[in-house]
Amino acid sequence: MFSYAVRRILLIIPTVFAALSFLFVLFFLLPGDPATLIAGGAERNIDPGVLERVQDRYGLNDSVATQFGNYWERTIQFDLGESYRTRRGVNDLIGDRAVNSVRLASWAIIIEVIVGISVGLLSALRRYSIWDKVTTVVTAVASAVPVFVLGFILQYLFAVLPNEWNWPTWARLRTQGLGPDSWSLFLIPRGDQWRYLLLPAVTLASVTTALAARMTRGSMLEVLRADYMRTARAKGLRERSVVMRHGLRNAMLPVITLLGIDFGTAIGVAVLTETTFAWPGLGSTIADSVIERDLPVLLGLTLVVILVYAVINVLVDLSYAWFDPRIRYGKGSEP
Amino acid sequence: VKIGRGTRGLLAVVMSIGLLAAACSDDDDDSGVEAGGATTASGGATTETTAAATGTAGGELIDLATFPADPPEHIDPALNETVDAYQVINSLYDGLTDIDTTDPANPVVKPLVAEKFEANADATVWTFTIKKGLTFSDGEPVVPTSFQRAWNRAGEPEFAGPYSYLLNFIEGGAERLDGTAETISGIKADDTAMTLEVTMSEPYSNFPAVAGFQLFFPMPSAVEKLTSQNDWENGLMIGNGPFMMEKPRSDTEIVLVRNPKWAGNIYGDKQALLDKITFKVSADVDSAYNAFEAGEGDTATIPAGRFKEADDKWGTTLGTTVISSYHFEINDKDPQVGGAKNLELRRAISLSINRDEINDAIWDGYRKVATSITPPGIPGFKEGLCTEFCSYDPDAAKEHLQAWKDAGNTQTTPVKVLLNAGSGHEDIVNIIVDNMKAVGIDAVSDPRPTETYFTELADGACVLCRSGWTADYPTYDNYMYDLFHTDAIGGNNHGQYSNPEFDALVDEAKSTVDLAKQAELFQSAESILLNDDMAVIPIAWRVGDYAFNDQKVVNLKTSNLELINWEQISLK
Repeated sequence: MFSYAVRRILLIIPTVFAALSFLFVLFFLLPGDPATLIAGGAERNIDPGVLERVQDRYGLNDSVATQFGNYWERTIQFDLGESYRTRRGVNDLIGDRAVNSVRLASWAIIIEVIVGISVGLLSALRRYSIWDKVTTVVTAVASAVPVFVLGFILQYLFAVLPNEWNWPTWARLRTQGLGPDSWSLFLIPRGDQWRYLLLPAVTLASVTTALAARMTRGSMLEVLRADYMRTARAKGLRERSVVMRHGLRNAMLPVITLLGIDFGTAIGVAVLTETTFAWPGLGSTIADSVIERDLPVLLGLTLVVILVYAVINVLVDLSYAWFDPRIRYGKGSEP
Repeated sequence: VKIGRGTRGLLAVVMSIGLLAAACSDDDDDSGVEAGGATTASGGATTETTAAATGTAGGELIDLATFPADPPEHIDPALNETVDAYQVINSLYDGLTDIDTTDPANPVVKPLVAEKFEANADATVWTFTIKKGLTFSDGEPVVPTSFQRAWNRAGEPEFAGPYSYLLNFIEGGAERLDGTAETISGIKADDTAMTLEVTMSEPYSNFPAVAGFQLFFPMPSAVEKLTSQNDWENGLMIGNGPFMMEKPRSDTEIVLVRNPKWAGNIYGDKQALLDKITFKVSADVDSAYNAFEAGEGDTATIPAGRFKEADDKWGTTLGTTVISSYHFEINDKDPQVGGAKNLELRRAISLSINRDEINDAIWDGYRKVATSITPPGIPGFKEGLCTEFCSYDPDAAKEHLQAWKDAGNTQTTPVKVLLNAGSGHEDIVNIIVDNMKAVGIDAVSDPRPTETYFTELADGACVLCRSGWTADYPTYDNYMYDLFHTDAIGGNNHGQYSNPEFDALVDEAKSTVDLAKQAELFQSAESILLNDDMAVIPIAWRVGDYAFNDQKVVNLKTSNLELINWEQISLK
């Protein structure tokens, strides 16, 4: 198990290298070179003077190979360069943004786990009941409503209206920004902070929670029909124990995989949620950097997202062993 | 100055004559700060920035209106080119002069940091006498050298911003800008006599108005200690205005607090009333407006389609007609829409646009459909200059499109309509794209980040691109010269329009003292621009677009140059 974990962790290095190099090359493979794109798009003839000014400004005169070499040389020394646009250090930017993204994503996943799994579990246990039918409809709607529409409606219902109706301050949620940025144990909002956190976290969680509920339901229904469930009941175990220990634990495997992917996604591409709630995270910054062809920012921030994905994947794989005792890593093939 | 939110473009460099000449020439014995004059409303404009504000001092204003979509690219007076950031800069710095817009039809240049200013007989040398005892917020005295330092800095070739061309008015400014000189030779600063003597490169009677513009704001000696001048705006910028920075700016907010060392404005105010202004950066106009309505802030930009609702419910600046135009620029060098061969296509595009529909759907009819680029409020303005091609006529649009096709042209890719995203322009561009498609011109919207939008345009990214311009100073040439003259290519002439006949008329107008004759020349130039060349597509003339909580905020008014006197605002 230990050596497996170490091997998996070491694998992160080539993963990161390959992913970033791929992105780097892709960046230069896009129609037109970055300077042309910055100056106005791929399908147009750009004034040579304009192009030269852009190249000068963004330092894009070196060959791609040279730029690639320079990039890795700096990256290995943890220097991610500075933004073409703002001249701000990418390391600083990551320091500012990554933490906010991780916090928001963590809470979205917590909501997803608590709400998604319990809803899915109940639906499976009371299959075809009114509860099951209602949740089926609600989850379908939740995955279909665009994030910015949901965000806008939530803002109106939980911030604008409470304010108009003069509800007590604590009951008026906040719509914009990070808030006081005060946390205990990294993750627990302190003081007023939860009023800023709740709406973006719920919005970000909405789609994935619906998926998690659907998946839990499906997976659970399958497990409930399994032979070992009948065996567990035959042994005389209490129903609660049968469902939770034998049923849910086995049904969790695909859901855990989904959660891992969701966490990475919530950190890297929560663009709409971040924009709607002016939450200063990675996603919106990455999106801007793509549109702006701001290579250092794009690569630097993507590096963080890739790292998070890679680490989460390792954790997900390792957690399989806990959820399914039949899976044991690193012992070779046992009879 | 550029309008990031609604329109763009501020620094209407005041190059024209006449209007200001009267104001300047007898200002020689103006001394000290003048209390504001009487309030006059004219031509429907109700700009009432007036005598000293009377309100309770104290409190914090949270602004959600100024930066609703992105943080400002620059807040350094030497680099900024947007009205939005100018709101902050104008609160942080005071210039040699200020413009009293109490009477919108008759703006007056008044000395501010200067005690007085005077010119020699042919307006080639201007001498500003600086008031004694003024200081920056850190206690450093404001002296003539503070201005010399700032102007040399603004002309540093590696650093110079989009408005640095203004330094060309000063002798040696051009040499400083091209790197052949370390300093601008035409500036003599005498800190003992407290005089700043500025030699012009050519006679220039309007210089005092320009000298009050942000590029010419003074700088303390702290800037000399910086490794890179670009660091100034990312640190604690020290200024001499009514407010000072509480902490360096971030991507999410800019926080100003009252500057206790401030000396007062031209209206007689001696201190800023608010303790603190927090300019919050939002990511989207609609969300920012939600936040405003949820009580998270005191001001907001009114989103598209909600002008009437906002006017009914809140205090707004909708009643102020600002000297500002909303239009679409066209890249004259673009093979698809630019140049003489695509004239008929440009006419078809302009004729296809239903401006009334846009005004009703987006602005609830509050703005005025434009019949020229130059807005009312500019001396010399004439209604209806764009005679044939600025109204909605889909049938005529189809005819012009056919004429373009008959000349052997075909459309292979959709026309890109550029806009800065998240600032409330999406719906307008969508209507325009639909309008164009309805007459058979394929078009697509191309949103770009607000933060760098105008830099991209200056770099040549424009095809058909959303734009706007608020006068830096109310002169006709601020529209014709700054936006369309060949000299302004690389600056604010994003369409790279260049027509020698147009240039000649503008040049002649700039040097014409007779006001009637001058207006006629400018109008002829604009007629070429719109009727002969269709080099730009006017849409509407603007009104203010701030909403504010009038239960709490007192005296929030915008001038017709779209600047707010933040120091006069108080809270109930």
